[in-house]
Formats: sequence, C-alpha cells, structure tokens
Amino acid sequence: MFKYILKRLLMSVFILLGVSMIIYFLIRLMPVDFIQDKINAINQGGATVSQETVDAMYKMYGLGDNSFLGILGGYFSWLGALVKFDLGTSFVYGIPVADVIFEHMGISFLIALVATVFEFLIAIPLGITAATHQYSFRDYLVTVLVMIGISLPSFFFGQMLKDVLALKLGWFPASGLIDATASYTGVQLLGDYLRHCFIPILTIVILSIGARMRMTRTNMLEVMNSDYIRTARAKGLKERVVVNKHAFRNTLIPMVTSLAGLLPSLFSGAIITEQVFDLPGIGNIALDAMNRGDIPFIMGYNMFLALLSVVGVLLADLMYGIVDPRVKLE
Amino acid sequence: MEELKTKQQNTEAADTELPLDKTVRLMSPTRMVVRRFFRSKLSIVGLVMIVGLFLFSFVGPLIYTEWGEIELDESGKTEYSVSTTTYTVDGVQYTLHQTTEKSLKDNFLAPPSAEHILGTDNEGYDIFVRLMYGGRISLIVSFLAVFLITILGVLMGGIAGFFGGVIDNVIMRLCDVLICLPGIPILLIISTILDASNIDAKYRIYLLMIYLTFISWPGTARLVRGQILSLREQEYMVAAEAMGYSAPRKIFKHLVPNVMPQLIVSMSLSLGSMILYEATLSYLNLGVKAPYAAWGTMINIISTNQDILQNHLNVWVPAGICIVIAVLGFNFVGDGLRDALDPKARR
Repeated sequence: MFKYILKRLLMSVFILLGVSMIIYFLIRLMPVDFIQDKINAINQGGATVSQETVDAMYKMYGLGDNSFLGILGGYFSWLGALVKFDLGTSFVYGIPVADVIFEHMGISFLIALVATVFEFLIAIPLGITAATHQYSFRDYLVTVLVMIGISLPSFFFGQMLKDVLALKLGWFPASGLIDATASYTGVQLLGDYLRHCFIPILTIVILSIGARMRMTRTNMLEVMNSDYIRTARAKGLKERVVVNKHAFRNTLIPMVTSLAGLLPSLFSGAIITEQVFDLPGIGNIALDAMNRGDIPFIMGYNMFLALLSVVGVLLADLMYGIVDPRVKLE
Repeated sequence: MEELKTKQQNTEAADTELPLDKTVRLMSPTRMVVRRFFRSKLSIVGLVMIVGLFLFSFVGPLIYTEWGEIELDESGKTEYSVSTTTYTVDGVQYTLHQTTEKSLKDNFLAPPSAEHILGTDNEGYDIFVRLMYGGRISLIVSFLAVFLITILGVLMGGIAGFFGGVIDNVIMRLCDVLICLPGIPILLIISTILDASNIDAKYRIYLLMIYLTFISWPGTARLVRGQILSLREQEYMVAAEAMGYSAPRKIFKHLVPNVMPQLIVSMSLSLGSMILYEATLSYLNLGVKAPYAAWGTMINIISTNQDILQNHLNVWVPAGICIVIAVLGFNFVGDGLRDALDPKARR
C-alpha cells in the first residue's frame, strides 16, 4: 500500500511537470501583452516612457526574450521559484499569486460545497425511486427532467434564472456578492451573502443533479438484480428495508469513490456561473486575468487546477481500495 | 406483415414438425439492436429532435430565403425619445416636453412579425435565419470534433492496448498529462493565440475544435485500451494469432469492431457535450465571432446588455432552446443506444 502510494505520488510529479510545460508555452504564445498595456496606459496619462525603461520592464517581468530558448529559460526560472513554493507575483494585483488564489477561493468553495450537498440530497432519492420503479411513468418523468437539466448550457440557464427571479420578480439580487448600498454586519451580512449566492447555487444544483441521479439509478439497478436482494425478499423482509438497507448501502461504494473525484470541482470555481452573476470567485478572476495577460496568475491558477485533478484521481483510487475490500492496490 | 407470417409458421409448426430453422425467425444482432432502440420512446423522441434540427439548419436556409446570415434589414427605423425639463421663471413652473425623432438606417430589435418571424437582433439581422446558420456551425463542428477524437482515440488506444509494454506506458502517461489539462482555461488561451494569427472569422471555430480534439482524445483512448486488454485474452484472438495475421489486421479487423458498441454510445453522448463546449466558447466570444452566427454568440449579447436580457426575450431565448434541443436529442439517442447495445439489459 505504502509503496503504491509512493509510486503514484512520484508519477503525479511527472504528470504535473508535463502539464506545466504545455501550459507555460501556450501562455507565452498568447498575444496579450501586459507590459504593452501598462505602457499604453502611462502614455495616455501624458508621460512618455523611454525605450530603456520599456526594455527594463520587460526584463524585470521576465518577458524580454520571446524566442524558443527565451521561453524555455522563463519556464525554468518559473520552475525554480516553484521548488521554493513561490508561484510568483501577480502582474495585476501586485501580490503573490498564492495569496490571490486563496483570497478568492473561499467564495467559490462555499458555493460549490452548498451546491454539492443539495445535489446529493436531491439526486440520490430521485435515483432510488427511478430505479425501484424502473420503466414506470415516474422513472420516465424523473429521467426526462434531469436530462433536460444536463442539457442546459450554464450561461443560458443562469441568465434565465437571473432574468426571472432577480430582474422580473426582484426576489434576489442580480449580481455581485454584497449589497454595496447597505453596510451589514454579523448575521445580516451572512444573510446578504446567502441572498446573493442563491441563484448561482440553484443554477449549479439543477445542472449537476442529472449526472448524480443517473449514477445512483444505474448502480441501484445493478444491485437490485443481484442474488442477495432476492434472498432478502425471500426472507420476507419489507420492500422498504430491502431497498434502503440491503440495496442502497451497496451503491455507496461507487458513491464514496466519486466523492474524491469531486475535489477539483469544489475548489476550482465555476468560471461561467461566476461570470454570469459577476461573483468575485476564483473562476471569474481567472477569466479576467486571461484577458489581461497576467501570466504568473494564469500559470498558478491552471497548475492549481491540474494539481487538484491529479490529487482527485489519486484519492479516488485509494478510496476505492479502502471502501471495496475486493480491490487490491499494487 | 412479416410478423404475421411468422405466427402462421408457428401455428403450422405445431401441427407438422418442421426443422428448427424454419420455425424460428432468425434475427441478426444489428436488427435486434435496431428493434430494441426503437422500442424506447425516448430514443425516438431524441432521433426526431436531431433530424428536425438537421433539416432546420441545412434545408431551412434553402427554403426560407427572405434574409441571409449576414444580411442587415436596412428598411430603417425611427426612434423617438422624449425628454422633459422643468424650470421656474418668476415663481411659475414650466415644463418643457421635447420629442426627438431620430431616423436610423437599420431596423434593429424589431418585434416578431410576418417579415421577421422571430424579429431582428440589436444589429438588424433576422434572428430566425441566424438560428439556422448557427445550427449549421454547431452541428458541423461537433460532428467534426467527435469524428477526429474517435479516430485519434481508437488509433492510440488500440496501439497501446495491443502492444502493451513501453508503448502502452508512453501513450498512457501522455493521456494522464492531457487529462489533467484544465479544459476551458486552455481553450481560452488557445483562442487568444488564434486571435493574433489573423484567421478568417469563419474558420477559427474549426481550428479551435481541432485543438480541442488534441486534448480530448485520451478519454476514448482509455476506453478502447481497456476493452482491448480484456478482448486480447479471448479465444478468437488466439485463433487470429494462429492464422498468422498481421498486427494491424488483428487490431482493426478483430479487436476494434468489438469495441464499437461502447464507442458508438460514447460518441453520441460526446456529440452533446461538444455542442455545449462550442456554445460556451461562442458565449465567451471566443468561438464564432461576429458577424457570423452561432447559438452561443446570439446569447452573448445579454451579458453586456441588460435591456435585451429583460425586454427582448425573442433575441436570446430561441438560441438557448435550440442548444437544449440539440444536446437533449443526442443524450436521448446515446442513452437509447446504450440500452439497445447492452446485451445484459433485456426486457
């Protein structure tokens, strides 16, 4: 077991190295030039920037040489800093990238966490009813409804909810995270947060219920056809006990495994949903950084995502070995 | 008709003992799959949705030729704006109402009418016609992407699964790396790179989707490899080995056809997700760019224009409905195919 984990961790390092190389080269090929934008801004202010200052600035930011070797050098200096746990300083915010990520991760994490909890609470009972009433009207109704949920584009559905619930009915604020006109504190502030996050969370929940419900349904169906369920029924147990105790517990194996796979989506932020509702989550910040050419931040954000998915896959495999005694990790 | 005949044969069989192959109707596996597919109502609904969208997007513009994709309605529009000013002279209050008439060249934001079935958008393009052209882009692009992903995935997965060893290791590690690349951010970066290379607005989405295939094939490759690893141990593969067949023949004639069921299902499901991908990119203004139409681009306007979001639903809601129909259709068909192709799921 220990050897297996060690081997996987070592492999993960190589995977992340490959990922970082691809991302770094792609980012350096981006035509968005932060320095040029900055100089243009200074020029518009009336001051003139001498060519020497421009060159010095490029050199300071490590963007002077755009040839292949220059980019390679830039990559290695980025990598060298990373070994010292330094992701660099964000061009736009002027503070370390890690700080920017942590600052904006909280809100994304909170939204994703609440949405995930509701997703499980709604999807699992739906999946169980659909499976126990297979091919009935109820099964079809639930299946069709959640399939529509899967098929909705997040930007379209989010804007629709925003239009109806926020702009037409006025029940919830349309965008942002806090009410700028009021100064709340304590419980009121929390309530204000929740009011602002309600529609984004609703959007995410409706879009994600489908996959979870269908997974529950498939697993349930598989279990319901197995021999020990027939035995349980033959013993004369109530159907409710058969379903909830004997069948459902056995669907928990894939469920627990998929919990580990949720890790990336909890922290990475929903880019589109945050953009639609103008939330200061990490996804929205990253979208903005990409438009402004904030290279250290884009690099740090993408590596953060890659790290999360590597860890997620590893955790899922380990979890599988722990939950299911039939699986041996080697 | 044929069923009647079989029934007759069956009753006859009871009387006179015929050999088995005459009393039982033989059905090829393909036919059984087709029958099982059409037994599910949802898959028929899905098929109708997709065929309908295909006809709408590809035949529609040939029949409804009133407007073109990038043809502005230049019939003009008069806009009235009223401004009111109040001022006080010698203690008496006067109110001045001033109406300004402005003649504009393009007939934009027209309500639905006989002339424009769904009205016009903020530029003056006919929305109904642009839905058709947007559908063309979405369908072509997603089919192209899925086709390329499948070819690349089958090739890489087949080679990895069949040869094993070092080749397998190299390909699978490459898969690991590519799977860890965050999808949307990477496409955003690639899209900005494309912006700089001055590619015709019409073709950039195709190029973008080709890049998408480069990072999306590992899923298919893993599926194919997994199947081939288990199929490789089957007896017919030992037989193929004994016949001295070449490796490509064994891979592509004996192994890949047996992976086809799973492959077809995953293809039809990923068609739906490709449409969502394309729409999302266009919504972020990174896919199909103005003046050309795509469903995502048609919704993009509301992210900056609150007036259209609230008061001109005819501009953006139809495009969203089209996306939902397309994705839902592919999902229904994919689900139906999965049930039909799974030999365990008989009912």
